[in-house]
Amino acid sequence: MMGRTKWIYVAGLITHFVLIILVTSRQTLSVFLQNKTAGPGPLMPRVAELEHVETMALGGDLPTSNLWRRAVVAYTNGTGINTGYGFFAPTVAIPRKLVFEIRYASGEVEYELPRVGDKATGLRLVLLLEAIANTDNVLLRKTMLKMMAFSVWQRHREAEAIRVVFGTVMWPSASEFRRGKRAEYDVLFAYDFRFSADVSPLNR
Amino acid sequence: MHDLTKRLNAFLFPQESDRWLTLFRIGLALQVVFYTLSSRADWNEIFSEKGYTLVNRGLNEALLSGEGVWVPRLGWLVDLGHGFGWSEVVVLRGSWVILLSAGLCLLAGVLTRPAAITAWFLHLSAVKSEEFLSYGMDNFTTIGLFYLMLCPLPDRLSADWRLGKRPWQSSEVRGFFRRVLQMHVCLIYFFGGFTKCMGVGWWNGDSLWRALNSPPYDLISSQTLASWSFLLPAAGMAVCLLETAYPLLIWIKRTRLPCLMAICGMHVGIALVMGLHLFSSIMIILNLAAFGPDFSFSWPNRLTEFRKRTA
Repeated sequence: MMGRTKWIYVAGLITHFVLIILVTSRQTLSVFLQNKTAGPGPLMPRVAELEHVETMALGGDLPTSNLWRRAVVAYTNGTGINTGYGFFAPTVAIPRKLVFEIRYASGEVEYELPRVGDKATGLRLVLLLEAIANTDNVLLRKTMLKMMAFSVWQRHREAEAIRVVFGTVMWPSASEFRRGKRAEYDVLFAYDFRFSADVSPLNR
Repeated sequence: MHDLTKRLNAFLFPQESDRWLTLFRIGLALQVVFYTLSSRADWNEIFSEKGYTLVNRGLNEALLSGEGVWVPRLGWLVDLGHGFGWSEVVVLRGSWVILLSAGLCLLAGVLTRPAAITAWFLHLSAVKSEEFLSYGMDNFTTIGLFYLMLCPLPDRLSADWRLGKRPWQSSEVRGFFRRVLQMHVCLIYFFGGFTKCMGVGWWNGDSLWRALNSPPYDLISSQTLASWSFLLPAAGMAVCLLETAYPLLIWIKRTRLPCLMAICGMHVGIALVMGLHLFSSIMIILNLAAFGPDFSFSWPNRLTEFRKRTA
């Protein structure tokens, strides 16, 4: 029969799975709301309400100093259940491309792509580029790109400026590809950075 | 009410052998070892507070603090190390060595629970300190390590068992944790599949085409893919249906083995075609541990065999 210890396990299980379902279903509902799908239009207000209720339950509306919110964030992150499971869903993200233009005082320009030490980090670079593309915070985006530009400048210290050009790769559909269409590169934004040997990139 | 409690007890606390736990431990150990080895070259640069290869730890952890101050991170260890006069480089290299050692201890079954806790904490800290670079594989490894450190360890094939250590929890608790893992894996696939089903691209093959052409997953040339593109809509639909129906197919005895083979085959395919080896391996480990070969509802016979063997 079910002793007290077993009921404690059951209570833990219920709490754990309620959190999993809240987090994952909230992500699914947000997919509906972002109009990325062929979701049912008339249901949108209800979906928005439900998503808001789930956000509230997870403490998303509370200040970051709130104990409930802190506990939920710590628990969901610690158990790996802080994000939903919509990988490559509902659609596969558009590939991003980052190019560094290294400009010298002589007028010479060199081009470089981001470099990493091993293949595993290379896979992760895609995620970073996606995060940069998706961030609404312009200052954060600029800071992230500046860090990456600084790593390039460290290998080209005589460069006058580094221009970071961030864009998307518009890939043709399979039928378009068969008809001869190839990928096109659209620039989303570009920043110019200048560095000097005695100043940290974040202080400039 | 009494009957309900009885059924709940039978469902959540089945008597289980520890074969799944052995598979789970060894699988996660290999996952931790390969994760650590694969990130060796960039470890110090990524986790350095002022590293500038990509986005450094300083920025990642500042943003993490804005979200939650109680989430483990490598910054805690670096700060702790400073108290002992250790530099950041020493602490970071030390954490890499300890994580690798924890993985190797888990593999051998030496100090299994301390090794599982250490692996969970260090892996989680590393993942959270590079949040911008983390993806599903990291979350699934955290999920696995979290369950492993709570499971009744050690298992019979571990070195700890041979040294005379025994788990303090009962075999019913072992069954409980397997059930938790099973339910969690079902939710992962259901929500993953359901969200894919909402995207038109998964029904017309466009999402698969795009996924297989996006660098760095583009291991197959576009020309080759284009010549086989007539298969993409069917393959996309199959992925959607398999993932969404997984919770149902895996619980029905007749469809369990085909479903398990199909889902593991899909992950092998992802590893070969897209190069996502660690992602595929963790998914196969979770699947095999949850619904692997010895999973059966005819557990009483297996339990009797298990008791006879361990008596």
